[in-house]
Amino acid sequence: MELKVNQDNCLGCGVCVVACPVNVSISPEVEGGHGSKTEEVIMMVENGVIKLFSPEKCNKCGTCQVFCPTDAIWLE
Amino acid sequence: MIANIKQVEDKDFNIKRSAEDERKLSYKDHVCIGCGICAKTCPVEAIELGNIAAIVRTDANISKININEEKCVLCGMCSVGCPVDALDLTIDNVSVSELEMYPKYTSSATIDDETCIYCKACEVACPREAITVSRDLPDRSKLVSGEIEIDDETCVYCGICEELCPAEAIYVTKDPENPEIVVDTDACVYCLVCKRACPMDAIMAACRSCSYGEYDIDPADAVTTGNTFIDDELCVRCGWCEGVCPVDAAKVQKPFEGELLVDEEKCSTCGACIDICPCDVLSFPESTGFGQTSAKIARDQEYCISCGACANICPVEAIEVKRTAINYTPTKSKSWTDKLESLKS
Repeated sequence: MELKVNQDNCLGCGVCVVACPVNVSISPEVEGGHGSKTEEVIMMVENGVIKLFSPEKCNKCGTCQVFCPTDAIWLE
Repeated sequence: MIANIKQVEDKDFNIKRSAEDERKLSYKDHVCIGCGICAKTCPVEAIELGNIAAIVRTDANISKININEEKCVLCGMCSVGCPVDALDLTIDNVSVSELEMYPKYTSSATIDDETCIYCKACEVACPREAITVSRDLPDRSKLVSGEIEIDDETCVYCGICEELCPAEAIYVTKDPENPEIVVDTDACVYCLVCKRACPMDAIMAACRSCSYGEYDIDPADAVTTGNTFIDDELCVRCGWCEGVCPVDAAKVQKPFEGELLVDEEKCSTCGACIDICPCDVLSFPESTGFGQTSAKIARDQEYCISCGACANICPVEAIEVKRTAINYTPTKSKSWTDKLESLKS
């Protein structure tokens, strides 16, 4: 399974960014809703839409998909 | 060399080898709890665990495990090791769980119908919906201690009794030409609300014995009968039924004993463990009030089968499942014993 995004669906809410347990472990400040200080994270909101930075770090837990309100991020 | 043949059917599959004996390994995806014990214990690394969290949480149409039929030697390790019998190796159509030379877990779940009062607490609590309780209630009319009679001469057909009757046992027809009041004696529970409310005092109560004495009810008429059924395929022997049974009719023996530890520092409350747990052991804790913090993940340790599914899928390795005992039938084979004992941590 692979992590996929559809930027056309994305509202830029960033819930996936803060819910992703791996993101939080890489860059703990995102848990509090702050922007990541590093581009080492799996995903970040950039210019109002989600963008994948290091999808290979994804542990396929599906949390982003569970929380995304618009099916903009999923595992396939 | 004789090749293994794999047959795939939706998310289930069989791997078969016909030589001197016919060996067939069957996998049932709906039974699999995604614990990964098979993948960890396979001696030839033929089993690959899928992205269990994603599969379970997104309803993806993919098998939770995959077995490479070219690597599989049909030894039966996965079949013996699977705590829920999602994998089953048969030799000449006999499951290894029935063959004495193979060990098997001594796990079981039973409900004693003699003791059971058919309250359905277990049916509701079972996290796998594996329990069905069917019951026959006693005939209600036999449990009622009296009956009412209406004096047609006095009754004015006001319908107050009909409106108040909790059992819907009274029917009033208000036709001025031909008024009528009927009591359904099978439905009447002799509560006497009608009698007390009647403005004309037209309702008479006829108690079968005495209002203050013992009811004339035959205890045999008051018994609820029934039977219980546990679907062995779905049951994971977690012990919820035993835990909630008010009369100790349910007995469960778990395959493993152990404990589940959560590293509060690492946990980021993604909830993957809660979604995967086959035993409803894990949950997000209820708030205990303003300004109060509780553990990130609540645990009903009592119902944990120590399968390790949660620890396997935790994306940040915040969960550790320690198995302290493996319950299985004794075997003479040292290699089988070693393998099963290796499940301890």
